[in-house]
Amino acid sequence: MSSSVVPPNLTPEDFEVEYSEEASLPPEDPSLSPSVWIQKNLFSSPSSAVLTVVFSVIAVLTIRGLLAFILGEERQWDAIATNSRLMAAQGYPLDQFVRIWVAFGSLIGLAGFSAAIFRASGTISLKRIAIWVMNIGVAAGVIGLLAPLSSSGRMGWIIAALVVFGVGAAIWFGFGEERRRSTFIPSIWVLSGFALIGVISLWVVPYGHYFLGEDGRATVEEGTVAFSTQMPWTVMWAILVVSHLVGLAVRDRLPAQASKGFLGLLWVIAPFVANWIILRDPDFDYDHVFSTDIPMALAFIVIGGAVLWAQSSSTIGETGRLLAIAILLAAVYTWVSRIEFLDFLPNWSMLQKARLSMLFLGLYGLAASNFSRDNATRRAYVAGWVIFMVIFHWLVTAVNSPSTLNIQSDTYLGGFTLTLFIAWLTLLVSFPIGVVMALGRTSNLPIFRLLSTGYIEIIRGVPLITILFFFANILLFFLPEGMEIAKVAAVVIGYGLFSAAYLAENVRGGLQSIRRGQFEAADALGLTTSQRTAFIVLPQALRVSIPPLVGQAIATFKETALVAIIGLNDFLRIANNTIPAQTDFVGAKREGLLIVSAIYFVVAFSMSKYSQRLEKRLGLGTR
Amino acid sequence: MTANMSASGMELGRADMIVSDGVDKWYGDFQALKGVTAQVAEREVVVVLGPSGSGKSTWIRCINRLEVHQGGTIAVDGVELTNDTRNIDKIRSDVGMVFQQFNLFPHLTVMDNITLAPRWVRKQPKAEAETKAMELLERVGIPEQAAKFPGQLSGGQQQRVAIARSLAMEPRIMLFDEPTSALDPEMISEVLEVMKDLARGGMTMMVVTHEMGFAREVADRIIFMESGEIVEVGTPEHFFTNPTEDRTKLFLSQIL
Ligand SMILES: Nc1ncnc2c1ncn2[C@@H]1O[C@H](COP(=O)(O)OP(=O)(O)OP(=O)(O)O)[C@@H](O)[C@H]1O
Ligand SMILES: [Mg+2]
Repeated sequence: MSSSVVPPNLTPEDFEVEYSEEASLPPEDPSLSPSVWIQKNLFSSPSSAVLTVVFSVIAVLTIRGLLAFILGEERQWDAIATNSRLMAAQGYPLDQFVRIWVAFGSLIGLAGFSAAIFRASGTISLKRIAIWVMNIGVAAGVIGLLAPLSSSGRMGWIIAALVVFGVGAAIWFGFGEERRRSTFIPSIWVLSGFALIGVISLWVVPYGHYFLGEDGRATVEEGTVAFSTQMPWTVMWAILVVSHLVGLAVRDRLPAQASKGFLGLLWVIAPFVANWIILRDPDFDYDHVFSTDIPMALAFIVIGGAVLWAQSSSTIGETGRLLAIAILLAAVYTWVSRIEFLDFLPNWSMLQKARLSMLFLGLYGLAASNFSRDNATRRAYVAGWVIFMVIFHWLVTAVNSPSTLNIQSDTYLGGFTLTLFIAWLTLLVSFPIGVVMALGRTSNLPIFRLLSTGYIEIIRGVPLITILFFFANILLFFLPEGMEIAKVAAVVIGYGLFSAAYLAENVRGGLQSIRRGQFEAADALGLTTSQRTAFIVLPQALRVSIPPLVGQAIATFKETALVAIIGLNDFLRIANNTIPAQTDFVGAKREGLLIVSAIYFVVAFSMSKYSQRLEKRLGLGTR
Repeated sequence: MTANMSASGMELGRADMIVSDGVDKWYGDFQALKGVTAQVAEREVVVVLGPSGSGKSTWIRCINRLEVHQGGTIAVDGVELTNDTRNIDKIRSDVGMVFQQFNLFPHLTVMDNITLAPRWVRKQPKAEAETKAMELLERVGIPEQAAKFPGQLSGGQQQRVAIARSLAMEPRIMLFDEPTSALDPEMISEVLEVMKDLARGGMTMMVVTHEMGFAREVADRIIFMESGEIVEVGTPEHFFTNPTEDRTKLFLSQIL
């Protein structure tokens, strides 16, 4: 036996493997001098020389045309500047805007903290930073040379280009070859550095602010476009940096697994909480709360708890499962039947609560046999139900109370915020459904296979826009009496169900890539089918599916643009319809569309970049 | 055939751990096992030999229900294998299996590979399972690899982890299906050493292998199969020096 000194009481942190993108540095290619490089790559033969020249000319003309388009005299960029708030959040009341900032700030804080805990930030070598900065300088120089500018404007661009390039060169030459390649800066600091430059510019650069007056006319204001946002953006920046620093400081003191799980949970509920902060401020009717809401919640807590306690007893056997199924069927019956056996309940909100609670009780009860180990486990199981019921009843009561925020249902939200909400919620809805469908399609039980395959094939045979129309307009007529649903919610459900079918196919690809030996090893160890799926099969399948899943997330994000067609005001619709219809900016469509494309591109591109990092980190393709 | 069953459990004075009685198995129209009848006694080490395609793997995999047999009966420690999932669970928790291709879980560390089943099937507390896992890794000689992922280990090390993973469930029987066939020659002995150690410790073992040295040294009995049938059963001495069946002699002449 080897004389190892590994202590027996290892914790998972001890098994964490530090991933680094560039663990050891390979020797650098002997660098060619620029002239040699050009000769070797661009002018190696007469034909390649011709091609190089032709394509250079085409490139120069294209860039020039694009710059002329962007910087042309006739462009009305003030249409965007004036409407930036509209594009961000549509008609959200001005005096309540702080809610959006609070929601956004919480997300940023969560992001900064999570980046530290998950060690999600990559590193960038000084060498690459220097190259980046120099490239930015070159880009500015190209703009300065090619754009249709006044001569003073051109001078300004060129000077700026030289300064930026100089900074890059200073980083390059300020550090020796060795230090340049072996000094790594966390990319989150580099990004915050760039963000800081942006934030500072809000304070010092007069972007030109246009204020839309009462009479609907735009007045040019002194100051900057960020007049009202320079402070909030500064705070946002500070939140990002501080939360990341706090995360770095505490991450070694927190139990890694538990804190990651907790943060993951926070990310799942984050869109709902953000939605909540932005849209709701419930005005509880306390008489009603005490006379009906609380008694009802207590009834479900006590009776449901007792039922679950019985179901999780180790001696109940198959009876417990049958009981759960009976409750489930009863709950479903209250949804589909027009004859209500819950008719005695005073109002619709109570009925809704009773139905949903029964549904949850049935579902929760199905899992009871997994918790029959000992009384402590059973208590934890029932406690889970109690906590869930408290949150659920509070939530439904709050949703059903009028909100002090007087915002109308469908138009309250719009612009980029709406795009983000729909994309995020759709992904959240589609992920579990898609995974379940994929498992169903590969299941041994014919009925599951049939149902999942049918679902997937039907959905994949129908265009998304049809499904969106259906859910936005027709679904309402199929709902049980008294039930309403906002258009946004209908869209998210429809889009989520659509997306789930495609997600299922991606996950199925991953499932099929798992070798039979993995199943056999799990079986031989005595794992149950659900344990095998949860611990062995799904983790591996999802890892393999990351590239297609991210591709799909990007597609989902981009295709939210379709909601414009069914009358939701996402930021594409605002750019395409709303802004060009304003008296001051008649026909100013191109500016908005260009900005919208740029934003779509930036978000999609960052997602794709992040997935590449994730793949590398999880060691895909190197296994 | 029965005449050759020299040392069944009754004669050794120990209980039979595995009883395979007239086991038949078809793949479609092809009969892979034809009435396979044999017993393995407690603490006995049985080596199964036979040419490729003779049904060795099929038989040993029937014993922990990775394959379903269609005729005859299999009983492990008195529990008969039927479609009753409780019996299957009971038997799987008593029987460990080591595969030719190791089949470690590539997304889990060595430590997690070993502790997963004890924690979720045996419901052991994490700390206890990890202490136990470290002991097992000591026993198979690679405690320093606990934090690594399977992909970072050599084949021999992976197979030793696979053995430790099976042992963590505290099985009473270990099945080995060609545990060294996928290994480079220089790693075979490190795995065989671990297996010999197990045998000396009194584990009941059924081993499919082509390692004749191991069979000669460790086996209590050798079962020779061909075309889905048991052809000859005997002690290593009988088997290697004085086989009675012609097919056995032919097989030995080809491999020795
Ligand atoms: N899943 C299967 N489907 C169809 N035929 C199979 C299957 N598995 C095994 N067989 C056949 O059953 C017979 C016995 O196979 P088995 O794997 O048990 O042989 P073996 O003795 O282990 O051979 P080897 O030494 O090559 O591992 C072979 O003829 C094989 O082709
Ligand atoms: Mg085999």
